[in-house]
Amino acid sequence: MTCPPDDAGTKGGLGDALGQDLDASRRGAASYQGSSSYEDGVGASDNLFRRTGRVCIEVLSELGAMAYLAGRSIAALFPPRVEWQGLIISMHRFGVQSMPLVIATAFLTGVVVLLLAAVYVRAYGATQLVGWAAGYATFRELGPVLIALMFSGRVGSKNTAELAAMKLTEQIDALRALAIDPYAYLVIPRLVAMALVLFALTLMGNLFAIVGAATTGELLLDVSYHTFWNSFAENVRLADLLHGLFKAVVFGIAIGIVSCRCGLSARGGATGVGRAVNRSVVSSALAIFVLDYLITYLLP
Amino acid sequence: MNPKQEQLGPNHRFLAAVGASTMAPFWVAGAIVLLLPRALVGLKERGWPAREVLRQAYSAGNRSVLLVAVTLASVGMILVYHGGLQAQRVLGDMSPVGPAFIQILLREFGPTIVGLMVAARVGGGIAAEIGSMVVTEQIDALRMNAADPIRFLVTPRLIAVFLTTMALTVFGCAVAVASGAVTANVLFGVPHQSFLNLSMTEPGDLITGLIKAAAYGVYVPLAASWAGLSAGIGSEGVGRATTSGVVVGSLGIIVLSSVIGAVTFAFGL
Repeated sequence: MTCPPDDAGTKGGLGDALGQDLDASRRGAASYQGSSSYEDGVGASDNLFRRTGRVCIEVLSELGAMAYLAGRSIAALFPPRVEWQGLIISMHRFGVQSMPLVIATAFLTGVVVLLLAAVYVRAYGATQLVGWAAGYATFRELGPVLIALMFSGRVGSKNTAELAAMKLTEQIDALRALAIDPYAYLVIPRLVAMALVLFALTLMGNLFAIVGAATTGELLLDVSYHTFWNSFAENVRLADLLHGLFKAVVFGIAIGIVSCRCGLSARGGATGVGRAVNRSVVSSALAIFVLDYLITYLLP
Repeated sequence: MNPKQEQLGPNHRFLAAVGASTMAPFWVAGAIVLLLPRALVGLKERGWPAREVLRQAYSAGNRSVLLVAVTLASVGMILVYHGGLQAQRVLGDMSPVGPAFIQILLREFGPTIVGLMVAARVGGGIAAEIGSMVVTEQIDALRMNAADPIRFLVTPRLIAVFLTTMALTVFGCAVAVASGAVTANVLFGVPHQSFLNLSMTEPGDLITGLIKAAAYGVYVPLAASWAGLSAGIGSEGVGRATTSGVVVGSLGIIVLSSVIGAVTFAFGL
């Protein structure tokens, strides 16, 4: 969930008052650190406590920056004026273009789930439970999480790359010079589009996961489609599906916030874009797993 | 993709587009597979690039430890939470939760989740690094100095990521088992002695897991290097290369996971 800064001391963020404060605190946190480039080893003056403290401060300042971004975006929603064009273009690019990837991922997820159940079917002959196990596992956990991971890899990182390129070519500054709020114009459509699109993709992916699981059962385990469907329809509840879809919306918003933040805080030329994209994917993955645990635990 | 596409009618153009997008995954897979012998030949010619391997292993391995620990700890907690709830509801007996969790973790979730994290963190890093070298013409400079970029860049990353993926998988499984044991104890009152029980784990599960980890360890650096080496122009090119490194890496992991799972199942492992 963190985007550790690459070059301490240079100005980052969107350049707002709070953004500069964050950068100042980061300068303070990083002033006793030699350099933090990707390859450098541990410096001589760099002991465990300093590093721990620095990591904590970086994590907190990044979390703060993301909260700030989310707050500014929500503030930009009032009065509600949505950039319809931007929203629809974003939804098309995020959603329609990642459908093949999501279908492939979901189908293979179903295959994997059934292969895991296969061990138990072979050991105990529990064919009546296969459909339930596949449906429960994919609807609640594997479907939303794996689809969100692929989504963050494809859509989140694409979004980061785009915003980082805009930031580095000073297009964000140009927007602000034209009195266009970059949050309302760039961030809001992307956040809303990601939440809606991930919801839809997860719903569709669930279908393909069940198809994949049923096909594997028929071909590899001699569990007929009929048995699979009976076990699935009798035991899987609507609550399981809704639980997973709620997760998908939360993951979509999280991926949106993380990828926008990492893109807008990019710096340092072509290398900076690559690094921002990498940070965005890693932070989204962390956010997905941590949020997944929290939702699983807190929600019935 | 096809220069002749301009001359085709609308129906043919549609067919050409369908064909091209069907072929694309195979082209990519072929290009990635072809990188493997080219990277290994460099090893035979010039020996073991020990220094560079260590450097890459540090940046790929040591710097992913925290990510893998946090992720696998959540995976362990989630799996045990679900397993415990189901056991409570259906069986009323908590003793199979631990053995079943360890079996499934070693066979599937440990290697695959670690592999996905390596693809995002390390694969994305490699694609970004090599991609920005391509964009700033450092690859051309290498070639001009008669240094084979594949031997120079891909070989050490391949060895380093292979070794660190295996190590991270072992570490990640240990973290997940520990967090699962704590979760089972705190939420369901399962004692550690009955949780840490290998009665359901068979050698086949361990072998399947290790084959998966090894396959991901070879595949991820190759896919990321391919994505980096085929980067386009400018900072957008680097962004796109990083994206495709992550996407091709993670999708390949899910494909490999189901293929290896099906094959080992068919062999009765």
